[in-house]
Amino acid sequence: MIHTIVYGFTIGAILYFIAIGLSLTFGMMRVINFAHTLTYTLGVYMLVSLGALFKGYFVIAAMIAVVVVIPISYLIERCIIRRLYGESLDHTFIATFAIALIGVDTIKWIWGVLPYPLSDPIGEYLTIGGLTLPIYRIVIVMIAILLFIGLEFFFRKSIVGKIVVAALEDRDGVGCLGIDVDHYFSIVFMMGSALAALGGVLYAPISSVHPYMGLSILLLCFAVVIVGGMGNLRGTFVSALALGMIMAVTARYWSQGAETMVFIVMAIVLIFRPIDI
Amino acid sequence: MLLGKGRGKLLDVKEIDVTYGRAKVLHDVSLQLNQGEVVFIVGRNGAGKTTLLKTISGLMKPSKGSIVYNGEDTRGLSSAKLAQKGVRYVAQDKKVFSHLTVRDNIELAAYAAGEEMSTAIQRTTSIYPKLNDLMDNKAGGLSGGEREILLIGRALVGNPRLFLIDEPTEGLAAIVIEDIFRILSQMKGHNVSAFIVEQNLSIVNRLADRVYIMKEGKIIREISEKPEMADTKDLESYL
Ligand SMILES: Nc1ncnc2c1ncn2[C@@H]1O[C@H](COP(=O)(O)OP(=O)(O)OP(=O)(O)O)[C@@H](O)[C@H]1O
Ligand SMILES: [Mg+2]
Repeated sequence: MIHTIVYGFTIGAILYFIAIGLSLTFGMMRVINFAHTLTYTLGVYMLVSLGALFKGYFVIAAMIAVVVVIPISYLIERCIIRRLYGESLDHTFIATFAIALIGVDTIKWIWGVLPYPLSDPIGEYLTIGGLTLPIYRIVIVMIAILLFIGLEFFFRKSIVGKIVVAALEDRDGVGCLGIDVDHYFSIVFMMGSALAALGGVLYAPISSVHPYMGLSILLLCFAVVIVGGMGNLRGTFVSALALGMIMAVTARYWSQGAETMVFIVMAIVLIFRPIDI
Repeated sequence: MLLGKGRGKLLDVKEIDVTYGRAKVLHDVSLQLNQGEVVFIVGRNGAGKTTLLKTISGLMKPSKGSIVYNGEDTRGLSSAKLAQKGVRYVAQDKKVFSHLTVRDNIELAAYAAGEEMSTAIQRTTSIYPKLNDLMDNKAGGLSGGEREILLIGRALVGNPRLFLIDEPTEGLAAIVIEDIFRILSQMKGHNVSAFIVEQNLSIVNRLADRVYIMKEGKIIREISEKPEMADTKDLESYL
């Protein structure tokens, strides 16, 4: 059972990394951003290529992979997402889904369709009281907790963070003070994309790497965002960990049902708290 | 607090139409504001008063006609750009940034205006010193009156030139309405230029330099004579 819990926290942590960006894009700009799968998957494939280059230096390869995604996300925001502000939700969905599909094909073209095997970069186990746990998974959970604390600090104390919190609630109100919301949004967008890439990079060694990996996890992340409340950052954290746990526990007894269960929970939440758009 | 002693034209709205999708809500609206003038806009619910202020603030764009602010056509200017040029819109819904503290609310205004925080706080609290005790409270926990005062106070940051204030006394108790009245008249004493939408006629006739009356998306009357403004019976017929 302890294994299941650690597994659940790991999945939850990964979902959290990816869901933050989605939640902010939706909360601030009312854009459903399917292109988020692309930044996530790109981060992973960068890691694949860089990992071969920096053999044995996982941390360096992972950091570069995340950084490389930032300018790419900047271009996505500038050239496409920015044109979607104020458009109807289904338009944002269609346009960003197109980006995701183009991205998948580009990845297939560059890296091929075959899965890449990556191995646990730490490969050590921690034994406490007869329990053996992979250290890597514990590290992932620790990073997620640090990130949560860091983001709380960022959104409460920094001026950019405060602008984002204010804009999530009342975008026009921030604009009418003379603040160019789009500019701050593009910072936040890059931050969210980098975090998605980080999630991908951390998750890749313990899952499988293939061009479609972003699409399936993104659906789970939408569930996280819906359950946690769109634009609600603390809610996103709690809901990511809770849904990760639900997946892990379900998988223990009924392995095919893990993802289904997430959407059942989402549906139940939607019944009691419909989204107001 | 504010300058603008001259009587030059600060705002010139010419024959604008404004639509929501297909529905046209403002028809051929024209009005002017001179420096240092406090002008009220009066009219029934749904007359288009809020739409008019939103359009002047840059949040909505007219489909026809022009708006000239301080000698410059505002067609290509966003609400943020207009704010940087000294326009402050205080919306009708008393919507503060509720997850932030009162101080943070002011800080955003100070940041946007490039003003020192101490100056910004001083401006904001000058109209209502009690705000000093609420600085570290979440703005979401303020009463309706306190919210409105924070919004007006926050709008003073950066020494703006034009205020657009939408129904500042709406939904407030009588004593609080008097607080708002005192604040507005203090601002008027400092020669601010403002368009204020208001249904409370006692505020209107005590503060107005002029009044525009709106009905069904049109300006149907302009009143600039004191006795007419004091005739609340007559004004009431438009509400
Ligand atoms: N977002 C919107 N979409 C479509 N129609 C709108 C929208 N907002 C307002 N309207 C319509 O435009 C007209 C003018 O509305 P507006 O809010 O400007 O009136 P108002 O004079 O400010 O009213 P109130 O006194 O109730 O605040 C109304 O008929 C209203 O139904
Ligand atoms: Mg209104």
